[in-house]
Amino acid sequence: MSARVSPLREPLILGNKNYHQITEDICAPTERAPSRQWIIGFMIAVAGLGLYLFSVIWTVWNGIGSWNLNRTIGWGWDITNFVWWVGIGHAGTLISAILLLLRQKWRTGVNRAAEAMTIFAVICAGQFPIIHMGRVWMAIFIFPYPNTRGPLWPNFNSPLFWDVFAISTYFTVSLLFWYTGLVPDFATVRDRATGWRRKLYDNLAFGWTGSAKHWQRWEALSLVLAGISTPLVLSVHTIVSFDFATSVIPGWHTTIFPPYFVAGAIFSGFAMVQTLMLVVRKLFKLEDYITLQHVESMNKVIVLTGTIVGVAYLTELFIAWYSGYIYEQFAFYNRAMGIYWWSYFGMMLCNVLSPQIFWVKKYRRDLWVTFFMSIFINIGMWFERFVIIATTLARDYLPSSWSYYSPSWVEIGLFVGSLGLFFTCFLIFARIAPVVAIAEIKSILKTMGDQYTGVNALNKKHDDHDLHTEDAHGHH
Amino acid sequence: MELKNQSVWTGVEDLTKSESFIELASQEFTDLPQLPSQENNGFTATRRDFLKYLGFSVGAATVAASCEIPVKRAIPYVTKPDSIVPGIANYYASSFVNGGDYAAILVKTREGRPIKIEGNDLSKINGSGTSARAQAAVLSLYDTNRIAEPSAIANGKPTKTTWAELDKVVAGKLSAASQIRILTHTILSPMTNKAIAEFTKKYPNTKVVTYDPVSSAAILAANEQSFGDRVIPNYKFDAADVIVSVGADFLGTWISPTEYATQYAKNRKIASAAEAKMSRHIQVESYMSLTGSNADNRVLIKPSEQGAAIAALYNEVAALSGGIAVAAPALNAKAAKALKKVAAELVAAKGKSLIISGSNNVGEQVLVNAANNLLGNYGATIDFTEASLQRQGDEANAQALLAEMSGVNAVFILGANPVFELPNGDKFAEALKKADLTISFNPMMDETTAVCKFAAPANHGLESWGDAQPKRGHYSLVQPTIKPLFNTRQSEQSLLTWAGASPATEQPMYDYLRATWQADMFSKQRNYATFNAFWDATLHNGVFQVAANAVKPTFKGDTNGAAATVTQPVKADVEITFYETVNIGGGQYANNPWLQEMPDPVTRTVWGNVLSVPVKWDGINDFNGFKDLKDGDKVEIEVAGKKLKCTVVRQFGQPEGTVAIAVGYGRTQAGYCGTGVGTNVQAVLPMKDGRVQYFATAKVSGKTGEDKSFASVQYHHTLGITGMGKEEKAIINVDEKALGYKGFQGSLTARTVIRRTNLKEVKKFAAELQTERAHHQKLNSYTLYRGHMDKYTSGHHWGMNIDLNACTGCGACTVACMAENNVPVVGKDEVARHHEMAWLRIDRYYYGDVENPNVVYQPMMCQHCDNAPCENVCPVNATSHSSEGLNQMTYNRCIGTRYCANNCPYKVRRFNWQDYTTADIFPWNERDLRGKTLGFRTEMPYGADNLTRMVLNPDVTVRTRGVIEKCSLCVQRIQEGKLTAKKESRQLRDSDVKVACQTACPTGAIVFGDKNNPASQVSKLNQSDMNFIVLEEINVKSNMTYSVKVTNRDEKLEA
Repeated sequence: MSARVSPLREPLILGNKNYHQITEDICAPTERAPSRQWIIGFMIAVAGLGLYLFSVIWTVWNGIGSWNLNRTIGWGWDITNFVWWVGIGHAGTLISAILLLLRQKWRTGVNRAAEAMTIFAVICAGQFPIIHMGRVWMAIFIFPYPNTRGPLWPNFNSPLFWDVFAISTYFTVSLLFWYTGLVPDFATVRDRATGWRRKLYDNLAFGWTGSAKHWQRWEALSLVLAGISTPLVLSVHTIVSFDFATSVIPGWHTTIFPPYFVAGAIFSGFAMVQTLMLVVRKLFKLEDYITLQHVESMNKVIVLTGTIVGVAYLTELFIAWYSGYIYEQFAFYNRAMGIYWWSYFGMMLCNVLSPQIFWVKKYRRDLWVTFFMSIFINIGMWFERFVIIATTLARDYLPSSWSYYSPSWVEIGLFVGSLGLFFTCFLIFARIAPVVAIAEIKSILKTMGDQYTGVNALNKKHDDHDLHTEDAHGHH
Repeated sequence: MELKNQSVWTGVEDLTKSESFIELASQEFTDLPQLPSQENNGFTATRRDFLKYLGFSVGAATVAASCEIPVKRAIPYVTKPDSIVPGIANYYASSFVNGGDYAAILVKTREGRPIKIEGNDLSKINGSGTSARAQAAVLSLYDTNRIAEPSAIANGKPTKTTWAELDKVVAGKLSAASQIRILTHTILSPMTNKAIAEFTKKYPNTKVVTYDPVSSAAILAANEQSFGDRVIPNYKFDAADVIVSVGADFLGTWISPTEYATQYAKNRKIASAAEAKMSRHIQVESYMSLTGSNADNRVLIKPSEQGAAIAALYNEVAALSGGIAVAAPALNAKAAKALKKVAAELVAAKGKSLIISGSNNVGEQVLVNAANNLLGNYGATIDFTEASLQRQGDEANAQALLAEMSGVNAVFILGANPVFELPNGDKFAEALKKADLTISFNPMMDETTAVCKFAAPANHGLESWGDAQPKRGHYSLVQPTIKPLFNTRQSEQSLLTWAGASPATEQPMYDYLRATWQADMFSKQRNYATFNAFWDATLHNGVFQVAANAVKPTFKGDTNGAAATVTQPVKADVEITFYETVNIGGGQYANNPWLQEMPDPVTRTVWGNVLSVPVKWDGINDFNGFKDLKDGDKVEIEVAGKKLKCTVVRQFGQPEGTVAIAVGYGRTQAGYCGTGVGTNVQAVLPMKDGRVQYFATAKVSGKTGEDKSFASVQYHHTLGITGMGKEEKAIINVDEKALGYKGFQGSLTARTVIRRTNLKEVKKFAAELQTERAHHQKLNSYTLYRGHMDKYTSGHHWGMNIDLNACTGCGACTVACMAENNVPVVGKDEVARHHEMAWLRIDRYYYGDVENPNVVYQPMMCQHCDNAPCENVCPVNATSHSSEGLNQMTYNRCIGTRYCANNCPYKVRRFNWQDYTTADIFPWNERDLRGKTLGFRTEMPYGADNLTRMVLNPDVTVRTRGVIEKCSLCVQRIQEGKLTAKKESRQLRDSDVKVACQTACPTGAIVFGDKNNPASQVSKLNQSDMNFIVLEEINVKSNMTYSVKVTNRDEKLEA
């Protein structure tokens, strides 16, 4: 990371930081008493978690009949939520793996939080396929374990079975990646802590000493995990899309789903990262590390993936028309103009039209615009999944069975509650772990600090030799 | 150890008592391997300690785990009856009789419990078919609302008494001078009539007053006037080429619908396009009846125009066949024009035509008789030789009884329920309350029984001995298939006891019936020399037929006199028709949950009656209901000054300015299931000369609210409706445009869902259809999995052929399926949420002219696809394919992801959303039939009690919450049939396996069999060029074949 960058590049670390200041700034939230905002946020999140648990118990106790699904529409909010959360879970790995391989420096500011978000989003996602089972107590049947019934194996042809492995693999690798990154930072916190906190972080840091050998292995492991994760970023949502693409239902049975789902997943994942980072930088006063430049970079990814998604939507419509296949035409005409037209238009508005605002630099760098857009996009992506699932099922082959579906309070409770689960996890994470990767951000200080690049660096002659004397990875 | 007095020793050491030997001998096990040193592993317990610990743990675990597990006792027979082999069903021939509703049946019993009703194919009346009502009769046996013992009733509350006490009270109150009236529905039983006659001998002032819940009195009266024979004649629909029905729902509810449907379908089936020939059926009516929905043409009239239509039809027939015209009221021009052409068709088919009417106006019925007479139909399509006795009642008699009630000492209620059924039921209630002695034989605490003084509950038909004479010359026996469940007594026995004429034997009714048949029936036959042989054979067969004396009365009706009394059309904005539904009848069947949950074939609603209002197409995008009403809206109707609240459905084919609603609903005291279901319209039925008229003028309010639990099983109704497009100025396919823009409605227009044509074009159509199919099959033949289908070419390969032309939509199959397969009843609220569980449904679609469409019924169940999309998506292999082509469900393996249901193109998979079968461990998860969660209440949901559970088929698993279920093609019957064939070491024949829907179907529309057996009926039917496979183009390789719907519609009839 020592290559000099053009001074025209905008800095990624502001405030003329040195290594010690970085440590201080980023460790601070884990060391001081929680702020009032954090406590209020946490209480709301825990309330949501309570609602979630209540809804889950209600569902298991009373049966899926407490939802409003019906004989025609066997999946609704449950699987919508599942796909939505899995999609959100994509940004973390993308940032940590693909952007690492692509040597994108701005990833260092956001990768930690994005990876945490991935973990928690996948945790949320993984709940829904389990809860939606009619006999959740028999969920063990989906695992290929040796048994005395033949043995009787799961159906290796079923995309739901592939999901089990796609999601669990993704979760495992993401968790490893995230935790590997956390180890040196836990060590940093440990070195500053006393008493029980020291003990806690000592355990969490796995005896990290910061020796050169440790660093070397750490770097190697990060690269290996990045290598493993990279195909996963693409494969997980591809497999999730197979839940639909391998079916015979018009509107589901389509080959465009894998790329379309992956693009959508990255799109929604970045939107969620934006939402979280904008809150975190404010809440933990990390404006110097999560800069407008970061926000802008992510907005660029959003406008790109949003446009890919938009092209996918239009391609679906075009192919339906161009194929001359009247049933496909019916499926898509119905998707746009049928009973759920409002969710289709919600999707188009939120996912395709509104992100185009980010072609304008001013809005890319506007925090309020970004914040609202990120919420918008997540609403839009939720609509996308709902459109695919509910609209398609509501109007399939035999008109006699067509029906309509709107959720019961239990289903709404599960969705809202899963947000509670997510934010509870995220807020606890933000309290106990450094939300920005200390070690990684230090690695770019010499190139992307505002004393080295950008307007400040040009204006003010500085002496980088002074800074070179500092310990690059000092735990002050 | 000291060994003393040792006379036996085992070796030198033993004898010498060496020390080492003694030590060894004192140890039980000497060669055990040495355990690792106890000090080292810290395990100090000895074997005894181990046993102690083990004993304590097991004991403690047992104590801890032994919290109340209910003890269920299965007690074996001490002496096993010869006829009962556990696991083997017995069939007994019997008869289903409820008032005038009749079917010759076989009752399937398992371990002494009747569990299923099948048609008796020896019967010349219903053959192997049954009606939904007959199918459901077995559930009424296990009705928890039955009155369990003789009771004295005060203020509607029963107090237990005994038969002896009741008999004493009756004997004390009755004398030879007592004016006694027996109020009853039609009695088909000669034995009952004989018992009444004996009672009358003792009490000579006894009179029987007969009426029917839905009246056919005018036909009886008209035939008395026209032919001097007060009877319903024998109609032969199979002999008629042109059938005109003026408001008679002969396929659904009128007189003997199962019999008529059987006959009707014979001339409607088309074996192949080359020999296509079918009867022509014109329905003149003012609401969409089940029969009208099967008609080729419907002539729409207002209800009050029925008389005018009959008179006009008579005049047209008379003009063409030399009769004398009568004065006819004015009829709407369109109908008049159509009837002119209809008359021409009738005359052209002289002697092979048939006119019937459901009118309850004697003059109108006389004109119908006159027209039939002119057409030479008597002796050809109508005769009196085998006249039907299934309707004998006249409600005018009941009104006469009401008038003389003050002079009556005793009223016996024999199956009738006048307080509910008659328009002035409230007056009956008042009068009955005042009578000195009122005794109800009804099995339930219904509206009438509640105002009687005593309940003398009669046995259910399946617990009784009896007989029936549904038609002249046709007799059948009723035999019990189970000991009476409650302390009930057959009504005949009660009457005989009170008359002092009951046989004093162990089985009085058996002996009485035998005696009756020995006296009256034995002499009618020559086949059996002894009565015992005759009796055994008849009891075995269930039916007994004798050649009835030929009767050929001549028409002597006064047509001009009749024409003077026909109904004059009224000028009103809205007229209302009251009709009978297939399932609930006049209300007698209201407490049967199977029938309540069976969707009405036409409206497709369940659990209640709905007001059908006309629907119009705006010529652009929308279907607009009358007064902008939508399905499920609540309105208030006003008939004869009385206001009623009801729920609306928009009904295609409902003439403008008319509405219709079913009678028999809104029972106030029917029992747990039937009370308060639907709107009670009985009180607003108008009467003319003491006879109920089933139409009136009405006022309909605008929308007053919404029915939150509006329960309909189908929300899209049209498949190819055509109308005049406002923009196009031409006739267009409305469905194609339904979303606003033409051309994108593929699923509604081109999908292989229904294939239908007109008789005139059938050859061309069949050729096109087979070209289309060949194209699909060619595309389907490209496969990655060569040889995949080979496994189905050997052994059995089950399939079905369903004739859309023979299916009348009557719904008997759907109830049979519920009975056979333990399909749960879920109640109105759950159906409203589309949670119905029916494995077999009958989809109903309208097509053709938007104002006056045709209807096609499509029985739809699991298609058992050989390329089943449901199978490959199940993550746990819970649904799989058998080598015989069956799509099988493994309930134990199902985890309920519902992916299979989503991926089923036919949407036939059903998920147990809640604990419908009470197989769950959480009682608060159960709902009662009104949809309320029971919570901690002690009230039982339907089906949870041990009595109702007796109806369950032990061969079929009861499914628990959270699993998917669906049609299994009655796999239990297939298995049984295979075993039968195997035991007899022969190839399986069609007769070995008949699935439940197939046996219930009166028209033979459903044929099941082995497609690999070229001799099977299904193989033969599958050869026809009239066949198609639903959604063949998606290559799921369904094993169900449908045959094209053909109508004989004359498009120009109304032009």
